Amino acid sequence: MSNNIIEIKNLVKKFGRFTAVNSISFGIREGEILGFLGPNGAGKTTTIKMIMGLINITEGEIIVDGMDIVTHRKKIKDKLGYMSQKFSLYPKLNARENVEFFAGISGLSRDKVNNKIAELKEIIHPDIIEKSVENLPPGIKQKVALFASLIPDPEILLLDEPTSGVDPKMRRNFWQDIYELKKIGKTILVTTHNIDEVEYADRIVILHRGNIIVEGEPANLVREYDVDSVETLFKEAVKKNERD
Amino acid sequence: MIRLDNISKAYEAVQALSDISISFPRSKTTIIAGADGAGKSTIFRIILGLEKADSGKIYINEDEVRKDFSKITRISGFMPERFSLYTDLTVEENLDFFADINNVPFKRRESLKIRLLENTGMINFRNRRAGALSGGMKQKLSLSSILLSSPELIFLDEPTTGVDPLSRIEFFRIIDMLKEEGKTIVISTPYLDEAENGDHIIFLKNGRIIKKGDIAELKRNVPFRLWRILPKGNIFELIKKLKGKNSEGENFFIKGKYLNFIGKHGDGALDHIDAIEISEQKPALEDIYMYYESEEVKGDAGL
Repeated sequence: MSNNIIEIKNLVKKFGRFTAVNSISFGIREGEILGFLGPNGAGKTTTIKMIMGLINITEGEIIVDGMDIVTHRKKIKDKLGYMSQKFSLYPKLNARENVEFFAGISGLSRDKVNNKIAELKEIIHPDIIEKSVENLPPGIKQKVALFASLIPDPEILLLDEPTSGVDPKMRRNFWQDIYELKKIGKTILVTTHNIDEVEYADRIVILHRGNIIVEGEPANLVREYDVDSVETLFKEAVKKNERD
Repeated sequence: MIRLDNISKAYEAVQALSDISISFPRSKTTIIAGADGAGKSTIFRIILGLEKADSGKIYINEDEVRKDFSKITRISGFMPERFSLYTDLTVEENLDFFADINNVPFKRRESLKIRLLENTGMINFRNRRAGALSGGMKQKLSLSSILLSSPELIFLDEPTTGVDPLSRIEFFRIIDMLKEEGKTIVISTPYLDEAENGDHIIFLKNGRIIKKGDIAELKRNVPFRLWRILPKGNIFELIKKLKGKNSEGENFFIKGKYLNFIGKHGDGALDHIDAIEISEQKPALEDIYMYYESEEVKGDAGL
């Protein structure tokens, strides 16, 4: 399909003799939420790192908005936002300082930085805005991390396990925030460990041992494979891949 | 058999637990569900005497435990969040080590070991170094090592955090086996979909219980109804429309293509909306948690 904002073709990543990503191809459509699911070591984070240009590709291609990652790394980087709940913020800094820092490295002017802090104050209670991020509850940390990843106004957001350890209410609210981002046209890739969470995505890609074993819309997949849930589908697809 | 009565615990300025009163039904699986920092680990540590409560009482078989926590630890197995395995030892050597420190008689040891390795599907990995196991296998080995002392009570603190989805499913199959053997099991988890595997649940938030009870019963007596709507037009337009006539106890959230609607009363609110499909859903534990959590917030505001 031509309206893919990210196109991944026969992507391979080898670390020495170990193949982490084994010739995968998939696309991310402009404006969609793509759920990226798989066990530990399936190759999710490696794929994200290659899209971000943080590690080199062994074989294959990544095209972002018509540009090749190998030749247009800098331009592509400006289009991408990244967040992982665990690593995105500086724990000893408070929420305001983190936002100032990320706004600073994004090259925002002092006025714009002040605007961002004013926006932050609308989503974070003033009592906790000056507290070290490490002392904030996971749900708040996640909100701040998402906010920080949006500072450079990226077209595409890559979220690596953004909801781990977050309480159910914050998790549901987080997804409502994600839909708000989709509404304004952002494209979002989310990885998760929680199978029940894939129902939030428009489409899902399930990775296992470096291969794509399932791809499609959650509701359609359940119908197509004639199973009771995505969880069953996942179980059976993994078993089949282990046999093959 | 174990009962906590008004247990409270503070670490400096942080109130880790406030007035926790719970018991764990025998031969059942109790789930302690809560986010990071809710107080889950503190409960385990207090029960096992690793931490002293500021106030409240702990009973075992109706005897109060004041100093001698061996009354509890003698019959308990505890798997902390970070498993402690010897990575340079093989699977079998790890089990031998834990059998030694738990004084498992040599006579019984071999058969017990084989049974555990078979039940956990690890028999073919007995000679592999623990350090070379996957996350899911490490978790099963840790569980096996605490089962060597044949505990009646099994405490598992976030056993599935960082473990891949497939291993988690497998893990709960093993838990069910243990329950059938009559073990009393307590598992903490931040994941409510996983909590569905339990019999009994304690919803914990900021050190307080927001609801507890038998899971089947909680599900039978849900004080709200849940509908799933597949809108004909734009989902955000539908939200705007519903928000316009939002009355008390109604709430909604998007999940994929669907708008989920929570109503305290009937489905009257959905009478004049443009939808391809509206169907009533059975609330999951996550929906139930959300309800009681918001009720508590409302209660706090009224104080």
